[in-house]
Amino acid sequence: MNVNLYPLKEFKLPIVAECINPDIFQEKSLKEIEALKVWEGNKQKRLGELFKVEAVETSFEAPVITIHGNASRVRRIGVGMKSGEIIIKGDAGMHLGEEMRGGKITVYGNVLGWAGSMMKGGTIEIYGNAGDYLGAPYRGSTEGMKDGKIIVHGNVGREAGAHMRKGIIKIYGSAGQFAGFRMKGGTIYVQKDCESRAGACMVDGTIVVGGHIESVMPTFTIEGLRKRVKIEEGEIVEAPFYLFIGDLTENGHGRLFIAKEPNPHLSHYEKFL
Amino acid sequence: MELLIRNGFVYDPINGVNGEKMDIAVKDGKIVEKVNERRAKKIDATGMTIMPGGIDIHSHIAGGKVNAGRLLRPEDHFKDVEPKTAVTRSGVGYSIPSTFTTGYRYARMGWTTVMDPAMPPLEAKHTHEELSDTPIIDKASYPLLGDWWFVLEYLRDGKIEECARHVAWMIKATKGYAIKLVNPGGLEAWGFGRNVESIDDPVPYFGITPREIIRGLCKVNKLLNLPHTIHVHTNNLGKPGNYVTAIETMRCVEDLAEDGKPAIHITHCQFCAFKGDDWRTFESGAEEIANYVNAHSHVTMDMGQVIFTDTTTMTADGPFQYTLHMLSGNKWTNHDVETETSAGIVPFHYRRKSYVHATQWSIGLELALLIKDPWKILMTTDHPNGGPFIAYPRIVAWLMSRKAREATLKRINPKARSRSLLPSIDRELDFYEIAIVTRAGQAKALGLKNKGHLGVGADADIAIYNFNPETMDPSKKYKAVRRAFKRAAYTIKSGHVVVKDGEVLKHIDGATMWVDVQLREPCEIEVNENMKRRFKEYWTVEFENYPVSEDYLAVSHPIPVKADV
Amino acid sequence: MPIVKAVTCPVCGSLCDDIELTIENGEIVKVKNGCAMCEAKFLSHRSEHRIRKPLIRKNGELVKTTLKEAVQRAAEILAEANYPVLYGWSSTSCEAISVGIELAEEVGGVIDNTAVVCHGPSLLSVQDVGIPSCTLGQIRHRADLIIYWGCDPWSAHPRHIERYTAFSEGRFEKSAWRGYIAKIRTLIGRKKIQSTVRRLVFKKPPEIKAQLEPTFVPSIAKEGRKLIVIDVRRTKTAEMADFFVRVEPGKDYELLQAFRALIRDQELEVDSVAGVPVGYLEEVADAMVSCDFGALFFGLGLTMSGAKLRNIDAALSLVRDLNMRTKFVIMPMRGHFNVTGANTVFTWQTGYPYAVDFSLGYPRYNPGETSVVDVLLRGESDAALIVASDPVSNFPRKAAEHIAKNPLIYIGPHMDVTAQVADVVIPSAMVGVEASGTAYRMDHVPIPLKKVVDPPRGVLPDEEILRRILTEVRKIKREKAKAEAA
Repeated sequence: MNVNLYPLKEFKLPIVAECINPDIFQEKSLKEIEALKVWEGNKQKRLGELFKVEAVETSFEAPVITIHGNASRVRRIGVGMKSGEIIIKGDAGMHLGEEMRGGKITVYGNVLGWAGSMMKGGTIEIYGNAGDYLGAPYRGSTEGMKDGKIIVHGNVGREAGAHMRKGIIKIYGSAGQFAGFRMKGGTIYVQKDCESRAGACMVDGTIVVGGHIESVMPTFTIEGLRKRVKIEEGEIVEAPFYLFIGDLTENGHGRLFIAKEPNPHLSHYEKFL
Repeated sequence: MELLIRNGFVYDPINGVNGEKMDIAVKDGKIVEKVNERRAKKIDATGMTIMPGGIDIHSHIAGGKVNAGRLLRPEDHFKDVEPKTAVTRSGVGYSIPSTFTTGYRYARMGWTTVMDPAMPPLEAKHTHEELSDTPIIDKASYPLLGDWWFVLEYLRDGKIEECARHVAWMIKATKGYAIKLVNPGGLEAWGFGRNVESIDDPVPYFGITPREIIRGLCKVNKLLNLPHTIHVHTNNLGKPGNYVTAIETMRCVEDLAEDGKPAIHITHCQFCAFKGDDWRTFESGAEEIANYVNAHSHVTMDMGQVIFTDTTTMTADGPFQYTLHMLSGNKWTNHDVETETSAGIVPFHYRRKSYVHATQWSIGLELALLIKDPWKILMTTDHPNGGPFIAYPRIVAWLMSRKAREATLKRINPKARSRSLLPSIDRELDFYEIAIVTRAGQAKALGLKNKGHLGVGADADIAIYNFNPETMDPSKKYKAVRRAFKRAAYTIKSGHVVVKDGEVLKHIDGATMWVDVQLREPCEIEVNENMKRRFKEYWTVEFENYPVSEDYLAVSHPIPVKADV
Repeated sequence: MPIVKAVTCPVCGSLCDDIELTIENGEIVKVKNGCAMCEAKFLSHRSEHRIRKPLIRKNGELVKTTLKEAVQRAAEILAEANYPVLYGWSSTSCEAISVGIELAEEVGGVIDNTAVVCHGPSLLSVQDVGIPSCTLGQIRHRADLIIYWGCDPWSAHPRHIERYTAFSEGRFEKSAWRGYIAKIRTLIGRKKIQSTVRRLVFKKPPEIKAQLEPTFVPSIAKEGRKLIVIDVRRTKTAEMADFFVRVEPGKDYELLQAFRALIRDQELEVDSVAGVPVGYLEEVADAMVSCDFGALFFGLGLTMSGAKLRNIDAALSLVRDLNMRTKFVIMPMRGHFNVTGANTVFTWQTGYPYAVDFSLGYPRYNPGETSVVDVLLRGESDAALIVASDPVSNFPRKAAEHIAKNPLIYIGPHMDVTAQVADVVIPSAMVGVEASGTAYRMDHVPIPLKKVVDPPRGVLPDEEILRRILTEVRKIKREKAKAEAA
């Protein structure tokens, strides 16, 4: 069964709707889905009070949930989901797909902070922009993204992929400060520009910056020039890249690739090669 | 209000009651001979186990260090939440619960009295503000005095009586209960990032050794007639080979014991029962400690049992916590307190598959089972250092059931399993002994006259567990024991039924107990003047603003004691 | 004339508790031992800007009303709200904060304190790294190296240096006061000559100061207490320091990380970091490593610029790393006198220091999501209670507009901007002057606040006002539940 959700109004209050999750919808009747609990501000409501719920019978096993409209106030969609698919034709709120383990979430609009936070598997694809802390852990935790894939076609905010351990984040736009902060593994690819402090305190893993970066942290050491960089299986960027190793402050051996051409101000590092 | 609890199996070791079926009558918060049967509210405890309310001699539940731990660890709380109900406040849990949750969770297990064991005197108001916000349970706190400059200086100069008078002032000023020593001398050394290595290693700049501090405060404790002994966290805690230090510490006050009464309490003994030269050769020193304790009567101790879980370690032992931070690489908070003490906090995960952690788990249980007299070894986890207190039902099961121990042994690190003494130990505690290690023995060690028993005149703090000792064998049905202790059928505090079937029915304030040491009149004035004079030199607050007034205690329960000075 | 001693000053996070006040006819007439800010605060209880009567907005106008009606209206606003915010708390007592949290829980609101706009980000980094710290007396007794980074205690915490750091007298370290006097004399002399020469002979504007103190090497090698100031501009505190490092604005993070690499004996592949030559940095790093006890204080200059919270991450990491080599501690210079207390009470009751959201019935915390400024900027809240703070004048414009747009309750002693746009205004007694309580110093030492004079007639302390609102809210909810049941 596929489910379509239509917001019944423009949400003003924050909505917490962990129940929007294919694993939870599975094997439930329309009535049961409508009766699922959500929070609007400090009042508990039924999902059916906030969304028009429409069920479409299909032969597929894993349900597809489609939200038609602006869900930018709706938080925690798809938290912990293991299978199935969520499609959001509009914006999505914070903590989208937090601790997700499998399945796919596709957003055609923008997404607020903490999308894919502490993700363990599955795929999130965002056609608009993503907020801060993409794939980063909860406050105080070092349990970053453990696996899975996040693709953002727009720009992302600060600290994308903080504490990341495995998996891949691909950003086809620009990234804010501290991309890959305290990263321990995995790959972050920023196709366009990257604000400074990329890879600060990283211990391991790979960050690739295809565009301009204001500066490289002074606590990185240059390792060499590379003709191309492999992002993942089937995706190779053919261009000269500087390779930096760091962060020295953490005795790290993370790899920071910075495209040579957009960054002539880094040419002084070549004297060490 | 009157209450009549009928027909339960009562375990009250202080009064020698061992599982007899009897009724318990309660009136105005006390146990009484009998009540008006018609008027009294009746609880049918048929087929249930009744014990005095549980007591915890050592659990970090309040104060600056505990709160710094809470602040440090949002990731510890966010998945373990307690929503507000019609009668309870909301909060968060896991290893360092918020204050309200702490009170409720203890009460749900049938525990009604908890001692916070480490209060920095300068921040005593903070400890008391939190204790006052910890509902249901009665509590008290031990001021940290083993590295207080006044103590170091008076003991160095051999002025025991002067020292005693100042300690008395401090216990009253902080509304404290007992003298706490943590790594004596080591915390002062930590002020400059150093430590002491043995009980005879001099404290930098002070010309005194830990041995002299321990002995000195043991004498002070006697002069003041405090209800509890000195409460000691030994030097070298958490280091391989430290069982020697633990034994030396106990031995150094042997001659100060009188009439077979305890003179020292060694706390969370598991952490100072390590043998070996380093972490590679690390092994259990429980047998050596147990042999010593079995042969001597001047010691009580508590377990400091390790639980396999993610927890938060926090002690006043700054240098130990720093070592733990370096060892684990986990985040680290340190908080040194001028003139007095220090504190450190490091999150820690005890893993079954780690040789050291699994051996630590074994050590705690070995101590509890090898020490023959249950009155000498009390059950704690040194919450949250060995694990959060909510694990007590688990420990009760391990102590009562060889089968429960084997079930865990199977899952631990193989090397730790093969070296553990547990497979060779058949002993299983019965409910009478459990009542000793979790209540009666704790009350006795603490000198709490009205707690830990169900005799007439005792506080009506009662736990009723849904376990029938007549029809069920705790050794085999250890999971049922666990379930019963996790959610008490009833918890009665000061005569109020506060918990039923593990749910909190009522939010009441517990009392804060403190020792009102009464010196001979002229001494007190002399001490005051002396303190005033030296205050500006030693501290950064004014003398008038230092003591904790009784207003800070939601329910103040002073325990008057006449001192011999 | 009665003199009250050992009064705690309710102004900044230093919480000096040695103030002596002279009272005459129920008014404070003289303040001894305090700084200028302290004096102004204690004398302000007679100010004409005090609110003396509860006010309520009727037909767009604030009009006088009874306390009972104001409390009733406030309770109605909060009981009806779907997502109220309760903000302020850093300039009141812990006892009042405690009632505030209970109220927030009861109405399912978001409660936040002023840390959210000052050292809140620092706390986020504490939660990632931890914090090696101590009480201020420990620094007074032991510290031989004191660093102020991005803060100017001489202006913002005027007695900090004399009471707790470089100029205080400790057991193991003596005051550096005499050395400073000698230095300032020569400095003033030299400056006077220089400026006279400039004005009279060259007739040109004052030259831009050199990046580094010329006397750097001798001062850093000196015996006894050393004071280092690191800032983007030469502050008053920098003037008295043994050494001043001027950091390029927004580049503190790079500088901190460079120090971290240097104290690990790593080589840097750049010539300068944040505008400071690496050679100089090495000297400072040497001073850090070779001291017996170092203390780093940081202020909003560090927390709110460039890498923001991650500056603090790096500073905490630096100090943590330094403990491998020597003893080192770090402490934020907290502004409001009880912002530390607010964090402390929040933490023991809810588990979290600020930005606590009770809307789901239990505490949730995620600054950025549950922090009041962000809630307001996204326009999510539908009512507000402000206690002892003036967010309408100091929040971002959009956030301030959202507060003003929705029902707003203000509790405080003075008629500030927030009060002027509020719907309910309840005057309160000045905590620490007209009401007692507890506050926490920046190093988490709790210190009692005294009531030294009576508040204006009929004016209650925050704690009591909040308790009355809470009682009223519960009554409304009970009645509503009864009506629904019927």
